[in-house]
Amino acid sequence: MSTSLIVFGVVVLALVLMYNSLIGKKNQVENIFASVDTILKKRYDLIPNLVSSVQTYMTHEKELLSKVTELRSQATKPNISDEQKIKLDAQMTSALGSIMIAVEAYPDLKANENVMHLQRTLAEVEAQISAARRAYNQAVTDYNNAIEMLPTNFMASMMHYQRKEVFEISEGERQNVDIKVLFNS
Amino acid sequence: MKSTSELTDFYYNELYPDLQELEKERKALRSKVIGVFGFITLITLGIIYMVGEGDGDGDGVFFVGALGFAIAGFAYKLMIKDYTFEFKEKIIRPLIKAIDDNLKYSPTLHIPQHLFTASRLFTKDIDRFSGNDLVRGDIGDVNLSFSDIHAEYETRDSKGKSSWHTIFRGLFIAADFNKHFKGSTVILPDSAEKTFGSLIGGWLQKNNIGRNDLVKMDNPEFEKAFVVYGSDQIEARYILTHSMMKRLLDYKERTQQDIYISFINTKIHLGIYYDKDLFEPTLFTSLLDYKQAISYTQTLQLSIGIVEELKLNEKLWSKV
Repeated sequence: MSTSLIVFGVVVLALVLMYNSLIGKKNQVENIFASVDTILKKRYDLIPNLVSSVQTYMTHEKELLSKVTELRSQATKPNISDEQKIKLDAQMTSALGSIMIAVEAYPDLKANENVMHLQRTLAEVEAQISAARRAYNQAVTDYNNAIEMLPTNFMASMMHYQRKEVFEISEGERQNVDIKVLFNS
Repeated sequence: MKSTSELTDFYYNELYPDLQELEKERKALRSKVIGVFGFITLITLGIIYMVGEGDGDGDGVFFVGALGFAIAGFAYKLMIKDYTFEFKEKIIRPLIKAIDDNLKYSPTLHIPQHLFTASRLFTKDIDRFSGNDLVRGDIGDVNLSFSDIHAEYETRDSKGKSSWHTIFRGLFIAADFNKHFKGSTVILPDSAEKTFGSLIGGWLQKNNIGRNDLVKMDNPEFEKAFVVYGSDQIEARYILTHSMMKRLLDYKERTQQDIYISFINTKIHLGIYYDKDLFEPTLFTSLLDYKQAISYTQTLQLSIGIVEELKLNEKLWSKV
């Protein structure tokens, strides 16, 4: 009688621990995504200022500028999913990168104090975003591992937990591209 | 900044006259120390022999032995005092000056205990704190200070006999960091995983009481060498970019010692565990010995070179 009671106790304890660990991992992902979101928003806030500062000079890049504006309005819409946010972030990063490179072709712009300040702020935000993406990816990897690995995978499927997507870290980012060098090139 | 080999050249060329003089002093001192030690040993043994006859439990013998040992230690310190002073003034001070003229050297001072504690590199309470060879100053815009540190704690056994244990002994460096951050990020040598393997070691790391949350880094080599604890998962990665991780790994490789790193209060703190007092003159090996020369110049180069090595002087966008 007492043996079966102990076995029962151990099983319940194991289940509780697994359940809590899964919840903990899911919350960690959500928690970090909230921070990612905040930093992404910081970048979106910079965009109108950036576009208005450069558009008078950048005659050949009208398309690029309107693309950035469009991406921003999509990203700041309420109720878009995390997956969409991740996709928009990737597009935004590449579009902004192109603008920053294009700035180099305009000596007036390069010397403009406002633009220089914007460049610095943007580069700083990019560094924060990069850190946030890496933190998010780690949390998602922990979560994905837990829902796919034994023994937590059984409980995860009962709780209808599904794999989450990670941010794609570009090769350039992995090399930790020095944005300053990019500006000076 | 001068390389280790340039500094070693400086050591042998510029400092040669002083080194020769110190060598003479060293040899004379060595004979003196051996003579005094021999004398103290003889006296101690003589007394032990006399006391030993009637000493049943051996307490008396132990006491006399310990006393002899203490006297020898005291005599040694007294004898090498002048020699040490001269060595530091004539060798270490010019070496530091040769690396950077703006640095101030105080042979008898050390980094204050509150700064060492604030670095949170070690969580154990300190009962005895000592050190020497404080160097401080600005390299470009970066404020840097470092010194020898010996931090210990005391334990008492059931009989009330106390013994001292080292928490940290080696070089402690503090420098301005070029990024803004609010929380704390602590990087320690990965001893748990090395000793217990990744499963148990990993669990131990995760449940390290007294530390913040574990931060898993996305550089396998770095993860193997270090364990990171941080108050903020994102901030830890903001500080530890891929290139910073690489630089820290290279730095560890160059020191060949265990290194402890923390980012707290806008500063980077580094503890390099040498387990000995650095920048001290040798008594039984020649000061002209190449290995000896290298050990002085390399340690100085590593500690002052940290600013360049970790690119702390690189102007970043956020902190102007």
